Amino acid sequence: MTTDSIFSVEHVTLRFGGVVSLNDVNLTMNRGEILAVIGPNGAGKTSLFNSLTGVYQPQEGVITFMGRDAKPMNVIGQKPHRVSAAGVARTFQASRMFSALTAFENVKIGAESHKGIGVVGAMLKGPRTRKDERESDATTIRLMDFVGLREKANTIAASLSYGDRRRLEIARGLATNPQVLLLDEPAAGTNPAEKLGLATLIRRVRDEMGVSILLIEHDMKLVMSLAERLYVLNFGGVIAEGTPDEIRANPAVIEAYLGSTADETEKQA
Amino acid sequence: MKDFIKKPFVTHLFSSIGVLAVIELMTGPPGSSTTPTAGFSGSFGERASFFGLFPTYRFVVFLAMAVILAVVWSFWHARGAQIRHGLNTGLATPRAVWQKKPVRAGFLLALLVFAILLPHIETDPYWQSVMVEQIAVFVLLALGLNVVVGFAGLLDLGFVAFYLVGAYATAWVTGALPLPSLFGIHLNTFWAIPIAIIIVMIFGVLLGLPTLRLRGDYLAIVTLGFGEIVTIFANNQYGITGGSMGTNAIPHFSIHLWFIDYAWGLASVPYYYLTLVFVVIFIVAFSLLEHSRVGRAWTAIREDEVAAESIGINPLKYKVMAFAIGAASAGFAGVVTAGQTFYVNPSSFTLPVSINILALVIFGGMGSITGVIVGAILIQSVSMYLLHSPPAGYQSSDLYIYLGAALVLMMIFRPAGLVPSRRRSREIGMAEKGEGHMDEVLTGDTP
Amino acid sequence: MGAFGHYLSAHFATLRLEFWGLLVGGLATGFIYAMVAIGYTLVYGVLRLINFAHSEIFMAGGFASYFVMKAVIGSSVPSGIASVGLVVLGIVVGGAASAMMALLLERVAYRPLRKRNAPKLAYLISAIGASYFLFNLAGKEFGRYNLSMPAPYVNHTVFTIFGAPVQMYYLVVLLVGVIMFVSLDRIVATTKLGRSIRAVAQDAETASLMGVNIDRTIALTFIIGGVFGGAAGFLFGMGSGVVFTMGFTPALKAFTAAVLGGIGNLRGAVIGGLILGVAESFSVAFVQAAFIDVVAFAILLLILMFRPTGILGERLGRSA
Repeated sequence: MTTDSIFSVEHVTLRFGGVVSLNDVNLTMNRGEILAVIGPNGAGKTSLFNSLTGVYQPQEGVITFMGRDAKPMNVIGQKPHRVSAAGVARTFQASRMFSALTAFENVKIGAESHKGIGVVGAMLKGPRTRKDERESDATTIRLMDFVGLREKANTIAASLSYGDRRRLEIARGLATNPQVLLLDEPAAGTNPAEKLGLATLIRRVRDEMGVSILLIEHDMKLVMSLAERLYVLNFGGVIAEGTPDEIRANPAVIEAYLGSTADETEKQA
Repeated sequence: MKDFIKKPFVTHLFSSIGVLAVIELMTGPPGSSTTPTAGFSGSFGERASFFGLFPTYRFVVFLAMAVILAVVWSFWHARGAQIRHGLNTGLATPRAVWQKKPVRAGFLLALLVFAILLPHIETDPYWQSVMVEQIAVFVLLALGLNVVVGFAGLLDLGFVAFYLVGAYATAWVTGALPLPSLFGIHLNTFWAIPIAIIIVMIFGVLLGLPTLRLRGDYLAIVTLGFGEIVTIFANNQYGITGGSMGTNAIPHFSIHLWFIDYAWGLASVPYYYLTLVFVVIFIVAFSLLEHSRVGRAWTAIREDEVAAESIGINPLKYKVMAFAIGAASAGFAGVVTAGQTFYVNPSSFTLPVSINILALVIFGGMGSITGVIVGAILIQSVSMYLLHSPPAGYQSSDLYIYLGAALVLMMIFRPAGLVPSRRRSREIGMAEKGEGHMDEVLTGDTP
Repeated sequence: MGAFGHYLSAHFATLRLEFWGLLVGGLATGFIYAMVAIGYTLVYGVLRLINFAHSEIFMAGGFASYFVMKAVIGSSVPSGIASVGLVVLGIVVGGAASAMMALLLERVAYRPLRKRNAPKLAYLISAIGASYFLFNLAGKEFGRYNLSMPAPYVNHTVFTIFGAPVQMYYLVVLLVGVIMFVSLDRIVATTKLGRSIRAVAQDAETASLMGVNIDRTIALTFIIGGVFGGAAGFLFGMGSGVVFTMGFTPALKAFTAAVLGGIGNLRGAVIGGLILGVAESFSVAFVQAAFIDVVAFAILLLILMFRPTGILGERLGRSA
């Protein structure tokens, strides 16, 4: 693991009963890059995300996350909220927002979560609590501006469109002040215009906020234009790694996809 | 034939007969093993008058009522949607007004003024003792359970255990238990308040740490079991708790501090005001909590625990906190009960009491402070009235028939409660539409 | 260590002395727990719901069979073929009454919630409310005291195992239990009904797309659970009498048994019931009478904390 890497996945194997979800996966993610993980359905991409965030506990291997003060942390065995506190944020394949709350409240909860608890302070509304709340409010407003949801701040999250929900999840994740943002199929269910907007936003997150991006996507056009490096998973194992051009030409990748996606990839080559 | 039965009016008729039969059973004379049909025959076979027009048997009146009910039901079945729409548009403005915080605060303030004046309005000593023992104490209990069930979404069926521990802790601190108090010091009951509350909160944390990792439906059973165990323990450990007889040696409250020299005695009214002060304190504290970071974290955990974890919220920590805070309110209720009635006895702290408290919270509106206060006042007043002047054939445990029915009916018709919390009713609406991940915690399904 | 060692050896000595008697008694209780557990596990399998009101389904069977036995037997002492007939009658009446109660419960307390897609918390609260409503109503209508059921047979000792008497009661419970469990196993494994139950338990949406009538399957699940619960109510009533609160403790223990064996797993319910019954029986040698219930609860807590999927594992359900 180099000082430049932010995630180091070594020989990780994840099993559920008889099913092997991840099979001896090795992956490195460098600080500041936009890295993508692609592969057919069921290849283990979301399982990888869940392992990187402490939701799943792989039976074998090591996942090292290089936190803020260059303190490495083994993610396996940590609870998700600790992984989040260390600087890993994520979105979910099917957007998980707090649907009965407003967009603003959704992001604000993210902004507050890393501060201490202060129950007594919360009940007494002391000066420290009020200061913390002002800061959280400011962060929330800033982030909602950043993702372009400022006007919809008081809308109930459940009434937002798919594209807006994705943006909201991104804002909420950013509110936790992360080092890396894991995006699970951010473009799923969005129309081409929304996709373009999302791509721009993702690049801005990396460029303007300095947050590294790890991306799962099925939309090949989006991935190839956005990612600087890719890993390809199939049946729980890594079958290829490289730049978009290298992946496009990789016969193993083409074979893994077969059918229409492979045609699409060829057309873009 | 099947088509005939399926016709809406016919189904409604049968259902009406069923409903009325149940109501008759509920309100009729009690039976026994040798007269199991007393409830029926007492209700149906007797002579009665047909709405004052002519003499006949009760079951004829019964059938007539069933027909009327079926007609109303069928009418609602056909036209209900329109009526409800009309009602909603009509009620839109009052509802919007009610949603505003100052309005609700004003309502509570008015309620407070009324509460302060109440002992001067109602001077019957029975009712005054009821005000303290039943209503004020149960308001405290409901506020506590509201934090656990309403704010944090944890179904705790053993909540009465906190009430018990608060009462017994008071007895212990004042030296009234067979178990000797710490260092043999017998404290004044007033100083027992903070100590008992701390003891209860510690108990809440100890109970919560192992159990709050469990998913919701298992948590319910486990808390129910723990509540039972606490009761069994209290009933049987004569050396510690005085067993099933409890203890009746708890001194009344008294303060002897600087210029304050006041002793509570047997009169109910001073206790009432003491409890009222603390009720207000708890209301303010819980209200602030609801709208604070902690309250928002609870909402996040309730709505989608996985997402909450992913942004750094530690669900176990917040759930244990909810337990401890709810326990504090229940514990204080225990202190008041112990101090005022000067005895504690396991039979006042049984599982049905937990269900009673749950009914207050559900009926009033889980998650809504105003709601549970209203619910507690209403249900406890009615149940005390029924005890005081029971209608024919009413036995005290019949209350649970009504509470049970109320719980079922509320879930079917108005799950958010009488005075709903805006957020909760929205959440319930979302869950019904399939939005959100509220039920994951309950059923244990994870991504 | 000395005092605790003494305690253990003294109680183990008691256990050794009474071993066969406790074992037989424990198995009988275990069969009853297992029958009630079937109801919990079946409903959980298709609805993902703990039917808190199952205790009153059990109670309904107990009371119904009580009244019938009282009416038919009165104060006579039946024997021979008449006894067999009466036991069958008791099972049938108990099972039928409980099945009807189960259906009623499903219709009134659960179906409206299902149609509205209510959050799961609503089902739990409705179940508790229904439970309290039902048993307190029974208390009001039938009296709040224990009623002993007239015996359909003479409860003499049929034979002894190593000196421990095996009474008629134990044999009846054993026989009824074995017959019912084996039949259920065959039904679920081979019939269309069994297939639909398994289908709905796995994935209700897909099952309905495949043509399975969800409402009917759920109703039938409640009925089967009810029949078992009612038979258990009759058997329990024969042994301990009936009373309006009879459902509470056995049902809690049956639930523990269901979890112990693996919730949703039918064979697990049987195994869990037997293990729990025997464990409870053995603990009589160690623990004060009032604390026996705590044993079952302790088992529940341990299982939930360390192996929540139970001994045989959760089945009839979605995988992790």
